Amino acid sequence: MLERSTYKTLIVSLVVCLSIPAQGEFSKDANPGDDGEFLAKSALEIDTLIAKFYRQKSLPVPEVANDATFMRRAFLVGIGRIPTAEEALTFLEIEGPSKRVELVEYLMKSKGYSSNMTNWAFDLLRLRDNRQGGANNEPYRNWIRTAMDENMPWDQFVTRLVSSSGNGWDPESASVGYYTIDRGMPLDNLANTMRIFLGSRMECAQCHDDPFGETERMDFYHLAAFTNGQYEQGKNLMTDLWREIRDDREERREEYQVAQLFWDRLYGMSLAGSGKGRIALPADYQYRDGEPGELVGARTPFGRTVRMSDRKDEGDGREEFAEWIVTQTGPQFSTVIANRMWERVMGKGIYEPVDEYIEASDTVYPELMNYLGRLMHEVGYDLRAFQHILMLTKTFQFATNPNPSTLAAGDDFHGRKIERLSSEQIWDSLITLSSGNPDKKSMRSVDNRIYVGNSPVLVGEMDMVQLSTEVLALKSEEEVRKYFEKFVKKVRNGGGKPEGGKSMTMGMTQVKRYGKDAPVRASELPSPAPREHLLYLFGASDREVVEGASKEPNVGQVLSMMNGYVQRQLVNNIDAHLFKSLAGAGSDEEKIRRLYIAIFSRPPSEEEMKWMKEEVDSQGESGFRNIVSALVMSSEFLFLQ
Amino acid sequence: MNLSTRKPMKQFFNRADEPTRRQFMQNAARAYLGVHLFPMLGPSIASAAAEGAAKGQKAKHVIYLYMSGGMSHLDTFDPKPRKKDVMGPTETIVGKGEVEISGFLPKTAGVTDKMCIINSLNSTQGAHEQGSYIMHHSYSQRGTIKHPALGSWVMKLGGRLNPEIPGFVAINSNPDVTGGGFFGAKYSAAPIGRPDQGLQDSKRPDAVSEDDFSRRLSLADRLNTKFHERYPNADVKAYEELYREAISLMNSEDLKAFDLAKEDRETRDLYGSGNFAQGCLLARRLIEHDVRFVEVQLGGWDTHYDNFTAVEGRCQEFDQAYAALLTDLDKRGKLKDTLVVVATEFGRTPTIKIEHSNGRDHHPSAFSCVLAGGGVKGGMKYGKTDSSGERIKDDEVSVQDFNATIAYALGLPHDLVLMSPTKRPFKIADKGSPVKSIFG
Repeated sequence: MLERSTYKTLIVSLVVCLSIPAQGEFSKDANPGDDGEFLAKSALEIDTLIAKFYRQKSLPVPEVANDATFMRRAFLVGIGRIPTAEEALTFLEIEGPSKRVELVEYLMKSKGYSSNMTNWAFDLLRLRDNRQGGANNEPYRNWIRTAMDENMPWDQFVTRLVSSSGNGWDPESASVGYYTIDRGMPLDNLANTMRIFLGSRMECAQCHDDPFGETERMDFYHLAAFTNGQYEQGKNLMTDLWREIRDDREERREEYQVAQLFWDRLYGMSLAGSGKGRIALPADYQYRDGEPGELVGARTPFGRTVRMSDRKDEGDGREEFAEWIVTQTGPQFSTVIANRMWERVMGKGIYEPVDEYIEASDTVYPELMNYLGRLMHEVGYDLRAFQHILMLTKTFQFATNPNPSTLAAGDDFHGRKIERLSSEQIWDSLITLSSGNPDKKSMRSVDNRIYVGNSPVLVGEMDMVQLSTEVLALKSEEEVRKYFEKFVKKVRNGGGKPEGGKSMTMGMTQVKRYGKDAPVRASELPSPAPREHLLYLFGASDREVVEGASKEPNVGQVLSMMNGYVQRQLVNNIDAHLFKSLAGAGSDEEKIRRLYIAIFSRPPSEEEMKWMKEEVDSQGESGFRNIVSALVMSSEFLFLQ
Repeated sequence: MNLSTRKPMKQFFNRADEPTRRQFMQNAARAYLGVHLFPMLGPSIASAAAEGAAKGQKAKHVIYLYMSGGMSHLDTFDPKPRKKDVMGPTETIVGKGEVEISGFLPKTAGVTDKMCIINSLNSTQGAHEQGSYIMHHSYSQRGTIKHPALGSWVMKLGGRLNPEIPGFVAINSNPDVTGGGFFGAKYSAAPIGRPDQGLQDSKRPDAVSEDDFSRRLSLADRLNTKFHERYPNADVKAYEELYREAISLMNSEDLKAFDLAKEDRETRDLYGSGNFAQGCLLARRLIEHDVRFVEVQLGGWDTHYDNFTAVEGRCQEFDQAYAALLTDLDKRGKLKDTLVVVATEFGRTPTIKIEHSNGRDHHPSAFSCVLAGGGVKGGMKYGKTDSSGERIKDDEVSVQDFNATIAYALGLPHDLVLMSPTKRPFKIADKGSPVKSIFG
């Protein structure tokens, strides 16, 4: 799909070949991502639309990027890191007209794909490991990571987040973290839901009518009614017991720790009440269409109207809300996610900002936007298949464009704009250079162990999933007290706090954890990145606001590239993986060539080879180190072309 | 600095002989610092700035302590002791100069005679992202332009006092609100994550000789020149400029400003331990080395849930450090030159949310910030809220007015218009007017 002649032949052959099924059909049993024909056909549709765009503007279609540029771009966009030297050498050396197609397939099947998507999901959902109070987001984080790893379709993902209910530790319902992470601020949570999934910015309507748009404060509360009435499951059965122990905590210290476990980390992570469907207007409600304290029923502000009674609690508000978002907002839901994916792959959304939805007819290219919305629906919201299609297009392969878009509010389809790598892409690429293919390492696993105070107990005997399931099933205060007493005894006598040397496994899966300095991908490191980490320095999101990452340069980043991590882990580290690729290199030239391919993913130009050879001739071994340092600190490494 | 001795950068890179490379290092430190002292800004800015200086105050530095999350005004600087249902368990304490503040701030009560508490702040933005943005930039967050942060404006209008050290440093802060925006990367804050670790990577590593170091830079520069030719792009250029800055910083004597180990035990204990306390101490050191604007952030103020426990905890971290900072600055005679700001994006509701373990929600229509030093009168409160701290009664101060007051304290022209590269007009505090009556 590179040269024009091949391209033209393809169009002709497709037009002629009437055995292609009607639009929209791939074998429904198969995964759209596995249907090569379907992927290719869809990619062609997109290219046809882009070609039309260029014809209408009487502009010449840009050239496609060369192999090396394409390869690096595909790796970074598809799996969030540069290729290893081995991967790069392999791709650059193979011949054949379908090598780019094969590369994209390789990337989509790589474990790196889900790591890359996880960073995006964590940024979007503001996933932090910890929260105020004793609870944590461990099972929720794991739920998201698993969903990305299993390529859960987006509509299912959203439904399971928004309609979630139940036990926060049970892997099936751990998506309740979506709500419990924002305990105490359900309205902010709602505003984020509308923003992320529907591109509808309603934060301001929480307090007043939107002076620039049509959203009213009443609309906001009608929506909030769907998710109103969130509380911890069964906590009331423990209230008295909790107060007793807490008031006496100096004397009953051990029991207090167990009580905290139950209160904060068990009950505190559950979500009961599936959405009342009605809500009281706030005390400061200032408009004439309602009174403070008045109950209003749920009602959707656009799309198909869904209502719930203001006269009684109906109790399935969250489900109704989820269904409305996903299936009853016309093209909005599919368009928003399609545009987000377009931005991810192509560099700029068809409309921007991508979390402010506008109708296709108002975008720079309505026909394309409509097509993409339908395509997203067609692939069953399979984000991997969708991105796969985008990466197969010729449009994706256009040469890099150094200029900002000529169209103010969206993409001009003129080649991927040059932009700095994200902090995760930088980190993931640096560890690839220092430690080799990071996708070979195992993922961080969920820590389900029961913690009393700061130590895990009953390891190998019982975990949080079992404990929480049993506790949440208790039906009376008395049952809770009895269980609690029994459990305290069990902890006192039982398998217990591990002393130095004792194995932590005993039949249950070993917990895989990475410290903050581990050379593993960002998706496996603590979230948010610690303040002293390279990720933070390069602008990783603190995950307090939606998509809060930054690509702003600062002097600390430059110092780091000159004297910091790069120096310690790459240049001055003889065990760095990147030097392994030099094994067997016969000459200085060959060594230089391999260093270039490992770091820049391309061979050096003649001029560059001359400079580097001079360096090596003059400085010997330290010349190679200087070359590595210079290559990694240069702009070419930091920027995505 | 003599402009006529500046040599074009290229000359230093293309020569391979040793003496020239050493020369490059020395000259880089002097020549490429992005310094913008008054005489170089061009006639309009210089004269306006001079005029501003005559009208305004004479503070030289700002230490901007940002309480992120929305600090409850009622439980800190605007308590309402007569309303138990608003105050919950929070008590009050009467500090020096007869200024009454929350009982959670006993050490601060010892320095209230240096503070001007503004109880009448009002923001239009009640959500974190927008609230924090407008507090730091004076303009509402937009999808179409990135405004410069307040610290960046101070650097732009007032220049650096010390060319060899960053003019704007942000400790434990958020890069989204401390960026140079359309002024460019030169005006972004240099970030410090952990104050006790100083400025990371600011020394040439021991394993690298000076010679090798400059060889690396020379190679990188050649690569970058080629890259920039292929892709002439502003973001690419921004990184190149930062290299110059980084090099000058590495050679600077003032790097020791970042080293907290140089403080004696007594002083370190005065501030206390913890990231925020150490950040305040570092801020004091930095302004002593003539850094213009230092921001130190303290998070965790978003107390929707269990407000009182959480605020008490935050106040413990804040109280000792803040009191120590003011005392220490005063002792060293730097308080009159340094404006110490305590700011936040909004306050919290007088109504206590019992169902959220006694939490308080966001409240942008009335909240408190504090100014101290830099010519500000001490021992006073400016502006009043009503009896529950719900609405402003007297002397409303918008976020923009607050920022204009900071500009005024520094003698910077708050009404000077600068154009963005996209030809739109901007000012340091948008339409804000400084509150002049709080200056002594």
